[in-house]
Amino acid sequence: MRSLSSYPANSGTSKCKQKEDEAIDLHLFSQFLITGIIMGVLYCLMSMGINFIYGIMKVINWSMGEFFMIGAFTQYILLTFLLGADYWYVGVILSALVVFILGALVQRILIKPMFVGIIEAKMEYATIVTISMAIFLRNIAVAIGGPKIYTPPDYAGPTQILTLPLSGNRLVAFIGALILLGLFYYFIKKSWTGRAFQGVAQNRSGVQTAGVNVLKYDMLAFGIGTALAGAGGALLAPIFLVHPLCGLVPTVRGFEIIVIAGLGSIPGILVAGLSLGIAESLGSAFISPSFVDIYGFILLVIILSIKPYGLFGKPEREV
Amino acid sequence: MKIFNLKNIGLLVLLIVAVFLPVVISDYWRFVLTIAFFYTIMAASWNLLGGYTGQFSLGHHTFAMIGAYTSTLLMQKAGAPFWVSIPAGILLTMIISSLLGVMCLRIHGIYLALITWAFAEVVRNYFRLHYAFTGGDRGIDSPLIFGTMKPTPYYYLFLGIAVLAIVLIAVIMRSKIGYYLRSIRDDPIAARSMGVDIVRYKIFVFMVASGLAGMAGVFYGHSIGLISPVMGDFNEMAMIIIFVVIGGMRTQAGPIVGAISVRYLMELLRAQSEFRIVILTAIVILIMRFFNGGLMELFRRLKKWIRRDREGPVSAYQELEQKQG
Amino acid sequence: MDDRSNLLEVKNVVKMFGGLRANDNISLQVEKGEIRGLIGPNGSGKTTLINLITGIYEVTEGSIHYYGRRIDGLQSNVIASMGIMRTFQVARVWRDMTVLENMLIPAFTQGLSRREAKSRAEELLDFALLIRLKDKQAKSLSGGQNMLLQIVRGFMHKDLKLYVMDEPFAGVHQSIKGIIIESIKMMNQGKDVTFLIVSHEMSTVKALCNKVTVLCKGERIAEGTMEEVANDPQVIDAYLGG
Repeated sequence: MRSLSSYPANSGTSKCKQKEDEAIDLHLFSQFLITGIIMGVLYCLMSMGINFIYGIMKVINWSMGEFFMIGAFTQYILLTFLLGADYWYVGVILSALVVFILGALVQRILIKPMFVGIIEAKMEYATIVTISMAIFLRNIAVAIGGPKIYTPPDYAGPTQILTLPLSGNRLVAFIGALILLGLFYYFIKKSWTGRAFQGVAQNRSGVQTAGVNVLKYDMLAFGIGTALAGAGGALLAPIFLVHPLCGLVPTVRGFEIIVIAGLGSIPGILVAGLSLGIAESLGSAFISPSFVDIYGFILLVIILSIKPYGLFGKPEREV
Repeated sequence: MKIFNLKNIGLLVLLIVAVFLPVVISDYWRFVLTIAFFYTIMAASWNLLGGYTGQFSLGHHTFAMIGAYTSTLLMQKAGAPFWVSIPAGILLTMIISSLLGVMCLRIHGIYLALITWAFAEVVRNYFRLHYAFTGGDRGIDSPLIFGTMKPTPYYYLFLGIAVLAIVLIAVIMRSKIGYYLRSIRDDPIAARSMGVDIVRYKIFVFMVASGLAGMAGVFYGHSIGLISPVMGDFNEMAMIIIFVVIGGMRTQAGPIVGAISVRYLMELLRAQSEFRIVILTAIVILIMRFFNGGLMELFRRLKKWIRRDREGPVSAYQELEQKQG
Repeated sequence: MDDRSNLLEVKNVVKMFGGLRANDNISLQVEKGEIRGLIGPNGSGKTTLINLITGIYEVTEGSIHYYGRRIDGLQSNVIASMGIMRTFQVARVWRDMTVLENMLIPAFTQGLSRREAKSRAEELLDFALLIRLKDKQAKSLSGGQNMLLQIVRGFMHKDLKLYVMDEPFAGVHQSIKGIIIESIKMMNQGKDVTFLIVSHEMSTVKALCNKVTVLCKGERIAEGTMEEVANDPQVIDAYLGG
C-alpha cells in the first residue's frame, strides 16, 4: 500500500497519474473505513449486552465472550449437521435462542441468590463468579471440542459496495447486527416489557410497587444480554472462525467500548463502538496490522485522560 | 499480647519445616514451591487490597510485570547492578500504583474493576508493542541473581521474601491502619464520618500491595531468567483470585493456604491442563455460592466442632457434680 | 450577635440536586450547650442539611460555620476530627467488625492508644448495656441495637463538641430509646456536648430539645420552643397540608 509521500515531488509524473493515485488511496481508505464501521457495529452487540445486564442488575458479566463463543459453536453445529449453509440466518436466530436459555439458567442458579439476600458482598461475588465462569466455559470448550478451529461455511460470496470490494460475510453480519440492534432498541423503547426494563434500571424498588417482578426481569435481562452476544458469535462465525478462544477478542473490544463510552449510555456505546472499529481498522491498515489490539487502547487512554468516567458515563452517587 | 501462644508456635514449626524441606524433596519440587511462594506473595498482597480494603483491583498481576521489566531493563540497557535495579523496580511500581490509586479514588466497585482491567490491558499491550525496547512478545532475558539455574538458592530467596510479605501484612492488619482498612471496605461513608482519612489509606494500601507485587515480580524475573508480557495476561489475575477465594478471602492465612495448596494440586494434575482449570473454577464458583469462607472457614468450623466435642463430656461431668453437690 | 457565640452557624445555604432545591436559603444558629431539634415533614431537606454540615455534600450557595470557622467544603473526616460526630438514619455500623472494634475506630482516629480506647469503649458499652455483645459481629445485632451502637460510637470521640443525629429514635424499642435519651442528657449536661437532632417523634423532641427548627420543602419556616412552633399556623399547615 503506497501513500502519497512515496512519490517524489516534481517527479515529472503527469497530474493525471497523481490524481489516479489519490483516488486509489481514497479507495483504500474508504475500504478500511467501511470495514472499521462494520466491525465497530458488531462489537457494539457485545457492549449492548454487557451494558443491558449492568443496567438491570448492576452486575458486569465478565463471561460475555464465552456466550459469544457458545453462540458461534451452536451456529457451526446447526449449519454443519442440521440446516446447511443456506439457512444460516435461521441458525443465527436459533443460536441466539439457545444462548438465551443458557443465560437465563445461569442467572437463575448463580446470580439470583445475590438479590435474594443470601450473598453479602454483591459486586465481589458477581465479579468473581462471572470471571470464574468465563474460564470454566473456555476450558470446557477446549476439553470437549479440542483446541481446533472450525470453519463454518460462508454466508455470502464477496460483494461490493459502490466500487469497493467487500467480504460478503462481513456485509451480511453487519446487516444482521443492525437488524438486531434496531430490534433491541425498538423493544426497549416501545414495548411494554422494554419500558418495564427501563423502570427496573432506573428505580429497582420503586418499580416493584407497580407490580413488576424484578427477579423475573433479571433473568430475562441476563438471557437477552447473553443472547445478543450469542447472536454476535453466530454472525461473526465465518469471519472470526469458531474455536474455544474466539470470544476473547470480542470480550476485550466489548469492555473497551464500555470503558470509553461509560456505563449506562446506549448512544455512547454506538459512538464508542464505531470509533473503536474505525481506529482499529485504519490503524491496522496504515500503521501496522500486528498491533491491532493496541489502537483501541490508545483511544481508551486518550479518552479516559480527558473524561475519567467515559464519554457519557456518570459517576455513582454515594449517599 | 502474648508472643508464645499456640498459633505462633505452630507458625514457627511451619517455618522450620519450610527451611528444611529442600533436603527431602527433588529439584523439581523445590522449583514448584518457589513458584508457589511467588504466588503466595501475589495472593496475600491482593487480599490486602481487594479482600480487606475492598479495592477490587483487576490489575494486580500487572505490577509484578512492571517490577520485573523495570529491574531487567535497567540492568540490560543501563548496565545497573542488582542492588540498584531491584529497589528501582519496586519503587517504580509504587509510584505508578499511587498514580493509579489517585485516579481510582472516586471510583469504586464495578468501575474500579473496569479501570484496573483497562490499565492491565494497556500496560500489557505496551510491553508487546514497544518490542525494540521491551522485546515484545518474545520477552527478554533477565540476569539471574545467583548466576545458576539450580533451584535451591531461589527457594530460600522466595521463602524469605514471602515471609517478609506475610509479616508486613500481618503487622499492618493488626495495627490501627488495619482497622481503618477494614472499615473502608465495610462502609466508607461511616468511616469518613468517624474520622478515617479514606484518601490517605486507600493510596497507602494501593502502594503497599503493589509494591509487594512489584517485589515479587522483580525477583521472579531474576530467578526464572526470562520475562514476557504473558506475566500481564488476565489469566494470571484470575489465578490470584482463585487462590484467595479457595483459601479464604479476608483471612491472613487464606491466601497462603490457597496459593500453596492450589499450586500443588495443579502440579499433580499437570497432564490435564484444561481439566484442572475446569475443576478449580468450578470449586471457586461453588465456594462463592455456598461456602464463602474457603478453606480457612472449613478449618475454623472443624476446630469449633472438635472443641465442642471436648466440651461436651466436661460440662456433663460438671452437671453431675452439681447434682451431687 | 457575635458570630463566635454560636457553635454552629448555617448561613443562607442552598443545595441543588440537578433542578431540585433540596435546601433553599436555610439559615440557623445553634448555641453551645443546646439540644436543638430539627423537624419537618418528609422530604423537607433535613437529611440533606445534615449531610451538608458533616461534609457529605457540598453547598451550592451559602456557607456553614463552626466556631466561626468555615467548614462547608471540608472532607467528612476533617470535620469529624474537629469534634463533630453524626449518626445516620439507617444505622451505619461496620457489620463485619465486632461491636468493640466499631467503637475503637473513632478513638483511634483521634489518637487514643489501644488501651485508652478499649477502656473508654467498655465504659460506654457498659452504660449502653451492650457490653455483653462486645465481641459479637455487628451484623448479628438487631436494628435498634445497631442504632444504639452507632450513637455510643460517636461518644468515643475524645473531644466531642457537636453531635448531629438523624432520626435516632426511628423504629427503636422503648428501652433502647430510654438509653439513648439518657445518654444525650448526660453528655449534654456533663460534657457540654451540643446536639442537633432530626426526629419525627414529637413527644421526645418536646421533652428533650430546648429549641426546635422547622423545615418544609427545603425552607426554614419556623423556629422556637416546641410550644411556639406547634401553634405556628405555617407549621400546622405544613404537616397537615402535605
